[in-house]
Amino acid sequence: MTTLAPPAVRVQEPTAAKGGRSGSVGWMAIPALLMFFAFAVVPLVGVFVLSFTTWDSIGPIHPSGLTSWKAALGDKELLHSVYVTFLIMGLSWLAQTPLSILIGVFLAARKRYRGILAVLYFIPLLLSSAAISITYKALLDPNFGIGAGLSLDFLNQDWLGNSTLAVSVLVFVVSWQYIPFHSLIYQGAVRQIPTSMYEAAEIDGAGRWRAFWSITLPQIRYTIVTSSTLMVVGSLTFFDLIFVLTGGGPGNSTRALALEMYQTGFMANQMGPASAIAVILVLVGLLLAQLLRRLGGKGDESQLEGA
Amino acid sequence: MTNSNFSRRNFLGLAAGAAGAAALAACGSSGPSDKSGGGSSKGGASYWSLSGPPGEAVRQATVERFNKANPDTKITATFFQNDPYKQKIKTALGAGQAPTMIWGWGGGGLKSYVDANQVLDLTDWIGQNAAVKDKILDSSFGAATVNGKIYALPIETVQPIVLFYNKKVFDQVGVKPPQSYGDILDLIPKFKAKKIAPFSLAGQSRWTNMMWLEFMLDRNAGSEVFNNVFAGKAGSWSDPAVLDMLTKIQALVKADAFEKGFSSVTADSNADQALLYTGKAAMMVHGSWSYGIQQANGGTFVKDGGLGWMNFPPIDGGKGDPSNTVGNPGQYLSISSKASAAEQDVAKKFFSTTLVDDDEKAGWVKSGGVPVLKNADALYTGDDAQYLKDMAAIASGAKSFAQSWDQALSPTAAEVLLDNIAKLFQLQVSPQQWVDAMNGVIGK
Amino acid sequence: MNWIGGSFGWIWLIIVMLPIYWIVITSFKTQSNYFVTNTFAPASDPTLANYKLVLENDFVQYFWNSIVVSVGAVVPAVLISFMAAYAVVRGSHKRWLRWTNSLFLLGLAIPLQAVIIPVFLIIIRLKLYDTLLAIILPSIAFAIPLSVLVLSNFIRDVPKELFESMRMDGASEWGTLWRLAFPLTRPALVTVTIYNALGIWNGFLLPLILTQSPDKRTMPLALWTFQGQFGINTPAIAASVTLTTVPILVMYAIGRRQLLGGLTAGFGK
Repeated sequence: MTTLAPPAVRVQEPTAAKGGRSGSVGWMAIPALLMFFAFAVVPLVGVFVLSFTTWDSIGPIHPSGLTSWKAALGDKELLHSVYVTFLIMGLSWLAQTPLSILIGVFLAARKRYRGILAVLYFIPLLLSSAAISITYKALLDPNFGIGAGLSLDFLNQDWLGNSTLAVSVLVFVVSWQYIPFHSLIYQGAVRQIPTSMYEAAEIDGAGRWRAFWSITLPQIRYTIVTSSTLMVVGSLTFFDLIFVLTGGGPGNSTRALALEMYQTGFMANQMGPASAIAVILVLVGLLLAQLLRRLGGKGDESQLEGA
Repeated sequence: MTNSNFSRRNFLGLAAGAAGAAALAACGSSGPSDKSGGGSSKGGASYWSLSGPPGEAVRQATVERFNKANPDTKITATFFQNDPYKQKIKTALGAGQAPTMIWGWGGGGLKSYVDANQVLDLTDWIGQNAAVKDKILDSSFGAATVNGKIYALPIETVQPIVLFYNKKVFDQVGVKPPQSYGDILDLIPKFKAKKIAPFSLAGQSRWTNMMWLEFMLDRNAGSEVFNNVFAGKAGSWSDPAVLDMLTKIQALVKADAFEKGFSSVTADSNADQALLYTGKAAMMVHGSWSYGIQQANGGTFVKDGGLGWMNFPPIDGGKGDPSNTVGNPGQYLSISSKASAAEQDVAKKFFSTTLVDDDEKAGWVKSGGVPVLKNADALYTGDDAQYLKDMAAIASGAKSFAQSWDQALSPTAAEVLLDNIAKLFQLQVSPQQWVDAMNGVIGK
Repeated sequence: MNWIGGSFGWIWLIIVMLPIYWIVITSFKTQSNYFVTNTFAPASDPTLANYKLVLENDFVQYFWNSIVVSVGAVVPAVLISFMAAYAVVRGSHKRWLRWTNSLFLLGLAIPLQAVIIPVFLIIIRLKLYDTLLAIILPSIAFAIPLSVLVLSNFIRDVPKELFESMRMDGASEWGTLWRLAFPLTRPALVTVTIYNALGIWNGFLLPLILTQSPDKRTMPLALWTFQGQFGINTPAIAASVTLTTVPILVMYAIGRRQLLGGLTAGFGK
């Protein structure tokens, strides 16, 4: 560990430091800023502008003021899509987080075969959405799938044709794909916790369960925030898996916002309202990210602590 | 507070690696340099179409035939998978990067291209090239016509929708193929009793459900009702025959006419086809291409004569002509209006020569389809001869060959249609609600 | 705690492996007996025909393209995001850096389908259409928001005093970035790298719209070969998926030591 500067010296630093101290950092943000500006901001502005037009994606673009916004906001389906999006977001967070923590803890304990397990657990992450949806479609087929294969009739449900089941299946498949990733994050975090803390707890007579609640969880708090941010933000623009697995169906029970946007724009040829939906998505994402940052206790950017 | 050596070395390593990868990627850009979007290279033309069996091989051969005969004006063909193609072509059109020749399904999709001034009006050209027109089935031109003008050439195959049935299952249960809709209703409980699904249906694909509506409405009321919808007449869906048809369909669902869990099954996994050839279902309403799938995937099912086929039976008291059929009256190729005059000429040459020659006809027959080109009967030989002849007879003998509704209508209306059809089969909307929803998008 | 964790771990293993097992055994079946036999039974007549089909259809080319795109996008993305995250944290007293951070946040929920047409137009103007670079550049841009968010969180975790002492030792910010922030942020860097790599490796929309020639296709597009107009060749797709996954899995198994090394290093407070 390095030694801290004695307080006396530090008091003199701030005045000279405020302007010049971190002056040489600004340039480090330039590359990212440029790339982001060119390929994300400019297109986003384009989308924003498009939301004030009427365009069928193949003909000329007609500026049309608020027409597309009115169409998008007035569509009952939009509200339903928002509901579906948050439903899937909430359910997948609930399904993934506890399980990932548990598995992360499980993997963090040092046992030899757990090394192999970690490799095997990782496989779902490597598969593309197309591969996963084809696999699950086959497994969930009511006549040829897992129910028939294992001769367990109760597994022969109308998995993708029943609204409730379809949502559950989606949450399950997403969890199947991403729990490995989050458990990897948690595994790393849990391994950071000094064993001394557990030893102290044992001396105090705390059982394993108590140790988990009082030591493990608090220590991985920031990891939970990071993992949750990834989950929540990821699920906003969640598209590929839903599109191939259920197409938004049955009916509209799995039509999340990203799908609503795609169907409005690319299938029904209404790019104006679709762009409006996209803008809404971006704003919701921004809101959620800010929310999560506050929850994470990182506070505001404007702290002048660096000086 | 560790390894300070690490950082600089590794940074250089990382930077080198990334630069290397980027350089490799950039090398790719030193390819055909004048290739922007769908634009052609060196005075030829470009052509985008669908990939995968059975069609890709035939299309590839066609292009090669043309290129051999026209080495100075070659066509570059690129093939995309079905659904991605739909997105790619729209993006390309929107950005002004469309290929010279645009492959499509005609109908409402074509109309959207016409409204956007993206495709050439071919009426005059066809007028001047009557020989070309004569080689193609007349009924195929319907879907190529918008506002009385022709904007695409019908190509490839005609694909009527057909009622397939498993002969072995019928013999087993001791019943005969249905001759009318009433017979169908009688058959349902008989198959159910033997734990065989009366009909196989890929309910999740939506357009498969739509085929039922198309036939039932046509048999019930004739082609008028839909023609009115297509023409944009307000309230056309309110015809009582429509409500009747919708009620009948929901009755079918309630009577368990379709296999258990049919709303979870999609057509592209071919699970619905499998139900038929494994004998788990007795009948199936599907496109004529199913014959090829049954053959390829069903082992000896087709060879042993297990597969039967017929036109959809008439409905007692229905006004529709029993010879009418629905499906794809062809596939359609348009010429981009934004392509250069030279490119358009290459395309026109392609249209008038290779696309209508005998090799083209033979190629499609070999792929197991009925070509849009006339006089292919002599080519129907071998094991599949009977099937192909029957399909050709249905296609040419049909008083009206209606285009699939989701292709005939505009994409906007088609989305609403498919959505409501799914809900109908889920029993989530009543027939009246369905009618109201559809009336709301007439002409959109 | 242990037996709950233990038994759960094994149950989870079965849940993970069942679909994987299915993929592997299906890859040895033929299309004709695929539906006829039990879906979980190994192939009665195992065949290598599917693998042959996959390899004959330019598999190596697609695989290589995917590698180039993934490495070419992930490495720069993580690098410049790391730099930007450092700048944003260390320079938080500067208004424009705070704005930059908020700007990045805006990019978190941009749906790719929405911006694809403008991105396409930009790529065309840059004359990059139908190149692998066309996929790489936007991928980098879209990876930035989340990477900066996660990385800046971790950098903020580093006690200010440590930065102070580096400063007093005469280190430049660049030096501090590599000698202080880099080791301490390694777990986050690994997380962010894996996350971005997976997203780009499996990315479908960008390759679809921004490339055209078959020799520029990446792995996700390779599945097309087995998707006919009227149905898919499931066993062939299973073979393709297996062939893609095995090399990456081997790389991961070998590189895991490194990864875990990275994950355990530095939070050292």
